[in-house]
Amino acid sequence: MSMVYINIFLAFILSFMGLLIYRSHLMSSLLCLEGMMLSLFVMMAVTILTNHLTLASMTPIILLVFAACEAALGLSLLVMISNTYGTDYVQNLNLLQC
Amino acid sequence: MKVINLFTSSILVTLFMLTLPIMMTNTSMYISKLYPRYVKTTISYAFMISLIPTMMFLHLGQDTMISNWHWITIQTMKLSLSFKFDYFSMIFVPVALFVTWSIMEFSIWYMHSDPYINRFFKYLLLFLITMMILVTANNMFQLFIGWEGVGIMSFLLIGWWYGRTDANTAALQAILYNRIGDVGFIMAMAWFLTNLNTWDLQQIFMTNHENLNIPLIGLLLAATGKSAQFGLHPWLPSAMEGPTPVSALLHSSTMVVAGVFLLIRFHPLMEHNKTLQTITLCLGAITTLFTAICALTQNDIKKIVAFSTSSQLGLMIVTIGINQPYLAFLHICTHAFFKAMLFMCSGSIIHSLNDEQDIRKMGGLFKALPFTTTSLIVGSLALTGMPFLTGFYSKDLIIETANTSYTNAWALLMTLVATSMTAAYSTRIMFFALLGQPRFSPIITINENDPHLINSIKRLLFGSIFAGFLISYNITPTTTPQMTMPHYLKMMALIVTILGFILALELNLMMQSLKFKYPSGLFKFSNMLGYFPTIIHRLMPKTNLLMGQKSASTLLDMTWMEKILPKSISHFQMKSSIAVSNQKGLIKLYFMSFMLTLTLSLLTLSFHG
Repeated sequence: MSMVYINIFLAFILSFMGLLIYRSHLMSSLLCLEGMMLSLFVMMAVTILTNHLTLASMTPIILLVFAACEAALGLSLLVMISNTYGTDYVQNLNLLQC
Repeated sequence: MKVINLFTSSILVTLFMLTLPIMMTNTSMYISKLYPRYVKTTISYAFMISLIPTMMFLHLGQDTMISNWHWITIQTMKLSLSFKFDYFSMIFVPVALFVTWSIMEFSIWYMHSDPYINRFFKYLLLFLITMMILVTANNMFQLFIGWEGVGIMSFLLIGWWYGRTDANTAALQAILYNRIGDVGFIMAMAWFLTNLNTWDLQQIFMTNHENLNIPLIGLLLAATGKSAQFGLHPWLPSAMEGPTPVSALLHSSTMVVAGVFLLIRFHPLMEHNKTLQTITLCLGAITTLFTAICALTQNDIKKIVAFSTSSQLGLMIVTIGINQPYLAFLHICTHAFFKAMLFMCSGSIIHSLNDEQDIRKMGGLFKALPFTTTSLIVGSLALTGMPFLTGFYSKDLIIETANTSYTNAWALLMTLVATSMTAAYSTRIMFFALLGQPRFSPIITINENDPHLINSIKRLLFGSIFAGFLISYNITPTTTPQMTMPHYLKMMALIVTILGFILALELNLMMQSLKFKYPSGLFKFSNMLGYFPTIIHRLMPKTNLLMGQKSASTLLDMTWMEKILPKSISHFQMKSSIAVSNQKGLIKLYFMSFMLTLTLSLLTLSFHG
């Protein structure tokens, strides 16, 4: 595997770790989600351009579209939580009261 | 030929003189205390000058038409300002001016404490001008201008005391009912425009068309609206909310006869159309009977006289229905005198009793108001057709002609019953208002000593007694009256009238000392005006609004657009998500376990061979 791919793959792994491990703000996991989407986009674009897979040139755009939708969804969830609790701390979502 | 010039000059002077006080609006004359007297004098001079062309017309028998100013030519139709001075307008103008003169003088007494009396006189004068435009119009456009003008002035004058809700409602009611009639008028105008290419009366009467049903139905609808025939009648009793001079001028002698006048103007078209004549006859018969029934149990003196007007209008329509337009016109002229006088006497009584209009609270005025009593009795007798008073010359002729013509027997019977009811409610007015012991409050404000009041009623009194004779013997003979008939037919009107008088007197005397029990169904029917206003004014708008609310607002907006898809989806999702999920919200734990699982599986499975 060439260096480029390892680089991008590493970026993806880092964002993924950031998504799963965070302290209090829900916003940070949403940001890492965006980072994941970005790295996927770059990897897809580089692969297609390098290997001249012309018919698949549409797919990065489609990926972007779906990423936008999901970002909106994530943000609306954030807004709902923020409406209820005032902040987006993850501790608030704990339904156990102990 | 100089005679002809004097005719046109004097009639134009008459019409122009009436506009002078209106033009003085912006000067100091309008603000002074002399303005009402000025208006009254102007109208009396206009009356005297208008007698000149009328007498010329009666002497020569020559119609005149003045066509001054060419306004516009729309493709092939020419509209100009043209006046028609024929039999009808030349006799109506002096009569209307005479009655208006008396009413103006009466208003000086009646409205003397009103701060806006100048504006009142201006409105009355504007009304008179538009009425003159209506009767002298030679084309339908000018007639429509006058038609709408009298409608507007009626609105302004009925709602004179605009602080009172009932007055505003009554004015609005008058406008709405008149509007429905105007639709008929416009339909007739449109038909004449598209089929005969003209609005000029001369050209309309010249062309020979077979089927004139459509424009004539339109004109009949217009007459129904303006003259308060059955179906469009509730505005006339409600119009009694206006001051008594307004009731005397507009809603007894002048405006409400505009509808009948329209039908009379178009009589050459109706002569050969038997269908329309039958419809007119039946409509008039229903009106005259229905309103006479309603008048029998009313308690407001002005409302009784208003229903009396409505009944006489029905009689005029009946006369048109038996193809006697000249007799109807004669009845218009004679009716103006005694009906205006009846209203003025009611006004005198009302003011004397400190604005009391309920006849159950009047009484014993026979000795206290002798002049008013006299004129009220003379007016009522003239109304019922007492031989050789004014009403006799027109009303008796109408009944005789109806009896001896080949016509609808039911309509004839209704008319005769209504005639006897005329006598009955006239007796009721006289009995309750004038006879017996006083039923009003003991504080004496009774005073009829004002010269304005006395002179105005005196003039109309002379008119009520002599005008029928004077007019009948000076007009050009038109249709030949029926000379021979069996004696019972000749006496028919008199017999039913006397029957009505006797019955009413007996009933009133008998019932005077009896206790009033619960009213019967017939009484309630008559007192509530046949439930017509109650049903039409409430039920129909409520049905429309309810249907609108149900179909547009509830069905379309609320249900189809809101509830079916958007709200139901969100509702369902929320309910099911609450029911199905049983998580505790420990997000960091869940993410950590996910990562751990992923790492462990990667590590384990990468050492696969």
